[in-house]
Amino acid sequence: MTSSATLTRTAPRPPAELRTARPASTLTRSSGIGLGIAMTWFSLLVLIPLCAVVITASAGGWTAFWTTVTNEQTAYAIRLTVSQAALVTLVNVFMGTLIAWVLVRDRFWGKAFLEILIDIPFALPTIVAGLVLLSLYGRDNPLGADVANMPSSVFLAFLFVTLPFVVRTVQPVLQELDRDVEEAAASLGASRFTTFRRVVLPSLVPAITAGAALSFARGVSEYGSLVLLSGNLPFSTEVTSVRILGSIENDNVAAAASTATVLLVISLSVIVLLDVLQRKVGRRA
Amino acid sequence: MSIEIKGVTKRFGDFVALDDVNVSIPTGQLTALLGPSGGGKSTLLRVIAGLETADTGHIEIEGVDATRLSPQKRNVGFVFQHYAAFKHMTVAKNVAFGLEIRKRPKDEITDRVHELLQLVHLEQFAHRLPAQLSGGQRQRMALARALAVEPSVLLLDEPFGALDAKVRKELRDWLRRLHDEVHVTTVFVTHDQEEALEVSDEIVVINEGRVEQVGTPDQLYDEPANDFVMSFLGEVTALDGVAIRPHDIEVSTAPLQDRALEGTVARVLRIGFEVRLTVLTLDGEEVHVQLTRTYAHSLGVREGSTVWLTAAAGATTRPVPVAVPA
Amino acid sequence: MLKVVRIALVVTYLFLLVAWPVSLVAVNTFDGGPQALLDVLADPDIQAALRLTVVAAVAAVLINTVFGVGMSMLLVRHEFRGKRVLSALIDLPLSVSPIVVGLALVLVYGGRDGWFGPWLESAGFQIIFSTPGIVMATAFVALPLVIREVVPVLDEIGVEQEVAARSLGANGWQTFRRITLPGIKWAIVYGVVLSLARSLGEFGAVKVVSGNVLGETRTATLVVEEKYLNFAQQEAYAVAFLLAMVSVVCIVVVALIRPRHDGSEKKGARA
Repeated sequence: MTSSATLTRTAPRPPAELRTARPASTLTRSSGIGLGIAMTWFSLLVLIPLCAVVITASAGGWTAFWTTVTNEQTAYAIRLTVSQAALVTLVNVFMGTLIAWVLVRDRFWGKAFLEILIDIPFALPTIVAGLVLLSLYGRDNPLGADVANMPSSVFLAFLFVTLPFVVRTVQPVLQELDRDVEEAAASLGASRFTTFRRVVLPSLVPAITAGAALSFARGVSEYGSLVLLSGNLPFSTEVTSVRILGSIENDNVAAAASTATVLLVISLSVIVLLDVLQRKVGRRA
Repeated sequence: MSIEIKGVTKRFGDFVALDDVNVSIPTGQLTALLGPSGGGKSTLLRVIAGLETADTGHIEIEGVDATRLSPQKRNVGFVFQHYAAFKHMTVAKNVAFGLEIRKRPKDEITDRVHELLQLVHLEQFAHRLPAQLSGGQRQRMALARALAVEPSVLLLDEPFGALDAKVRKELRDWLRRLHDEVHVTTVFVTHDQEEALEVSDEIVVINEGRVEQVGTPDQLYDEPANDFVMSFLGEVTALDGVAIRPHDIEVSTAPLQDRALEGTVARVLRIGFEVRLTVLTLDGEEVHVQLTRTYAHSLGVREGSTVWLTAAAGATTRPVPVAVPA
Repeated sequence: MLKVVRIALVVTYLFLLVAWPVSLVAVNTFDGGPQALLDVLADPDIQAALRLTVVAAVAAVLINTVFGVGMSMLLVRHEFRGKRVLSALIDLPLSVSPIVVGLALVLVYGGRDGWFGPWLESAGFQIIFSTPGIVMATAFVALPLVIREVVPVLDEIGVEQEVAARSLGANGWQTFRRITLPGIKWAIVYGVVLSLARSLGEFGAVKVVSGNVLGETRTATLVVEEKYLNFAQQEAYAVAFLLAMVSVVCIVVVALIRPRHDGSEKKGARA
């Protein structure tokens, strides 16, 4: 391990880094003012309000915070949200990679249409997303599989809204991948599966991880698509966001802020964790 | 013969990349596929490797019909212009890849990798990642990787094309010496005639999907089969109705021979040891002549001098019209 | 064979998850002919909601475009302390629950006991339960979209052309307007279109900050929820259809311009 540490220090910088190396320019007067204005707006809109959530949550002390978030109903909502988001992310890792592969590598009629389908969940208003899922998978639906007000509706809604993330992060990487690397593996005797597993997949791992992180974070924070679909039943289909809204509507801002903080921490730690992971893998590539 | 190519044709849509190509590539030799870009030489190499399939024709490698074999089963080593390094594997892992696929015992792999890294002078870089190597080092790694599986033929696609001039020249010498050591049948693609003349035992000139000529470097240079080969392998000028190489023209300051052509030096260009003259003959023809620095000096030619030009004895000539390379 | 299986799998998956359900919005809207849609468009409350939705979305997109382009220039073209942290924080709004966004804004700008709210209210500015709050909530959730499109393109085109322009005597603004801006034009267009789609459809955050006052602070997405829950399904579907149409059009527009622009450099790569 020590040898690899010295190695990275003495090793020449890879050309990719050289290419993006920028002059260490300091801010000019006008760009300094620009940064000031941008930061003020960003703080007023995002940073201060998010801090307010955390500060409100901690106002009652650790015990109050802990009591709120371990409240049976809240804890159930958090468990449900996290487990369904994790499950959906797992599906996305597999399906997203497969979809990206098909979109990049296969030629077939109607591909442009699929490209549009991928982006729809991102652009469709979440309330509309809930409504459309309800019309196919709800009461009296043409398929006969009623998931409305069932815990599986949470899974379905998450699956819909997180569809684009893994696909859209993996796709460009796959497009840029040099085909000659795969040809090299083939001429060295590797089967198509071995080539995929040992040569292609390792290059995709950072992108898949990044997509998975986004997908998980989006799933955990989802609200709109569940409103009509899940019925928001406590101890059954109530997710964390719905629980927070319930607290807000009951004028219990402290409880809302506490649960919201848990959500923020989960999203943030997943993003940080996967960013670190990705950086580790990325350094090798 | 190590590789037999019989009647191979390959089209990409309307574009004919290979048009009924027939070539035999001899065992144990270093053969260059030489030609301009887009002439089909890389396609031929990829057809040999099985990375492209020919529309018609047959490929035989070491007496076995390989036409329908997948690239995995052909046992060829392929080296790409842009290295095609496995970026997430160390240099040693890259070289070991083909052996691991073949499920060789661990210690045999270790020994063989070590041996190959020694051969390509990368043993101290075994545990580095490709990103930490220079272009030349990466290409040597790619070569070791291709050689590791003891291929029956080694195929190199513009192997030095992505490298700068100095490294390219070093690697070229090194490849020649390596081949003398290893003796594996080697085919490499290049568009650089100097590279082909310098390194190879035999050259196949390919243009517009067809084989123009096959022969040793000397044969091609001295007895070009057609105008294309003549002009592709070196500079050509026209003198008295024949195409001739500028260094095959003799210059004198007095009319020593009957057939000498009189002219005036219009331009003198000195490049290192070489002096290039542009001579305007009495018929208004523009002739290019190459002399050595010392010889030009001894003649005392300068712009405006009157000179007489003759073809040197034994010069390679062809009747004009000829395509003078731009 | 393997190819057929994987294409079939992908097509089936996308058909069941996206294409079929989304197409049902149109089917359900036009169940009884175009009348439902026409009725909805004639309803003054819904007209007000649609108007508010468009106003809030356009305002939020304008703010995010100016902010996004400026921030992208700062992040790509300048070095300053805390830049890495800032560029990480910029992406944060994408992974914050809309409900939390709404809560966060209420905690700061709430008129009753927000941090700044009472003070702003006494100065005559009402934010929460009013249009500015809706604009802020919308701007929050769509904040990174322009930046995410512009930053990679700015990175890609590099500084060479800008340096050349400067060496020819152009000042900072001229360089930006005549050299940089044409280079990132399409990236801005995608960013704007995506932001617009996202802004028109924001629901959760708006629900918390708007107060949902009929004819005043009710947006189109809130109308969908309200109508559906009040068993006015046909009307819910009609408004949802309008919203879905806009987002699908946005996606199609982006899909149509993107390949023409991105493909230009890729074509020569293989030759």
